Amino acid sequence: MATGAHSHVIKQALSHIRKNRFVHGVAVGATIGAFVILGLFFLLFCNLNAWMKSWGNTFSMTVYLQDGISDFKRDKVDSFIRGLPGAEISEYISKKQALSDLKSALGQESVLLDRLSRNPLPASYEVIFEGEGEGHDFGKKIIEIEANLGKLDGVEEVQFNHEWLNRLDPLMKNMALAGFVIGGVVCSGVLFVIMNTIKLIIYARKEEIEIQKLIGATDWFVKKPFVFEGAVIGAAGGIGSLVVLFLCYIIFAAKKIHLFGIVTLDFVFLPMEYIFFLLIVSIALGVTGSFIATSRFVSN
Amino acid sequence: MIQLFRLFKKFGDHTALHDVNMHVAKGEFVFITGPSGAGKTTLLKLISGSEKPSSGSILVNDIDLNRIGGVRLDLFRRKIGYVFQDFKLLPNRTVFENVSIVLEIMNLPFSVIKSKTCQILNSVGLKEKAHLSPLALSGGEQQRVAIARAIVKEPLILLADEPTGNLDSDLTRRIMVLFRDVHQRGATVVVATHSRELLDNNDFRTIVLNKERI
Repeated sequence: MATGAHSHVIKQALSHIRKNRFVHGVAVGATIGAFVILGLFFLLFCNLNAWMKSWGNTFSMTVYLQDGISDFKRDKVDSFIRGLPGAEISEYISKKQALSDLKSALGQESVLLDRLSRNPLPASYEVIFEGEGEGHDFGKKIIEIEANLGKLDGVEEVQFNHEWLNRLDPLMKNMALAGFVIGGVVCSGVLFVIMNTIKLIIYARKEEIEIQKLIGATDWFVKKPFVFEGAVIGAAGGIGSLVVLFLCYIIFAAKKIHLFGIVTLDFVFLPMEYIFFLLIVSIALGVTGSFIATSRFVSN
Repeated sequence: MIQLFRLFKKFGDHTALHDVNMHVAKGEFVFITGPSGAGKTTLLKLISGSEKPSSGSILVNDIDLNRIGGVRLDLFRRKIGYVFQDFKLLPNRTVFENVSIVLEIMNLPFSVIKSKTCQILNSVGLKEKAHLSPLALSGGEQQRVAIARAIVKEPLILLADEPTGNLDSDLTRRIMVLFRDVHQRGATVVVATHSRELLDNNDFRTIVLNKERI
């Protein structure tokens, strides 16, 4: 049933906004500014994540076999590696080939190796792992695989440089922490701005509120238009900040960033979940700010 | 319906009402009269719950006004139609909206709000000015908007503070017809006035307030 109270809320809120354009404009502007700061941080976080994913899609690993490994055991290791998801044996290097490779690498110095009574180099597998869009999680999986391979009968050692993966984890955690801190500061700022905007409007309409109370309006009836107004300010700020962020994205996306002259970094815009998050948070802050402001002023 | 017992009201050092005892029966029409400053407005404010007494008790429709607040007080006020002496119209709203707001507060459907508001504005002769701001109206017209707002919700109790103060004889008669109509539908009506014309032409009980006492 369409009641007069619903139309009252919308009409009143829109009328407040129309009549206090400047105050609302300032509030929306400040909200946009604050959410642009938060959004830029989100953009940086999302792009770093995307770049990490693209870099982390391919890993190579060397699996050294024990000296004197039987063919049976070697076949078992071979089939274990081939059974791993995304794994491909790029090369099997026998003991003999390993020595020959070393000799060619040493060049004239290789005569030193001739004095050895036996070949000390182990046979090995060069394994390449490829993951599809798994990025950082894929890196973690590879570390697990490395550990499992090391325990395999017939395997002497597994070599896999995961230093950078170990550094990546704390970096992303710090980024997330910084996100919480920046988000907290931004949200407090937006809450403060919206609260004070609504307070100004309440001061201007104090007499009207008193009259409404005298003729039987409940606190909620009086508060509703202000709360709706707060939601509109929040939503306008949220949408405005997304527009500004998208413009920033278009400007930066047109420029390709080259790393070491080889890697080209592509920019990505905020994923849908981040967009919804920004919108929901902006509306929620608008509602909360105006609710707090009205609760302090509207009562019997 | 309305019972006042040993009622005192002070504003700082100034005593507005001193030991007032009064009883108005359900469905009764009563005039309260007295010189300016006698406490008529204060008395109506106390009956409507918009002021609290300094001491004494007020029972309205078996509700002890000293003991209610919050939503219960809001709901109580919805049963009362109050014509304020200074009209208390909302300057940012049209005449129609000033009247319809009381029905919106009662959460009635929009179709009902529209028809009732149009009907009452027609009764007070302001249908043609429904779209105007109250600021564009004369004092008498503003008073009629205030009266329309008070009676549109068909209140159980109608309190009117100098409701004909700015009206000519003809409009005074028309307003009294509206008040009688509200009264005949079962409402208790209390009119504070010092208009001799109103008192002489209507045969209802008159309570005289003088020097803060009845």
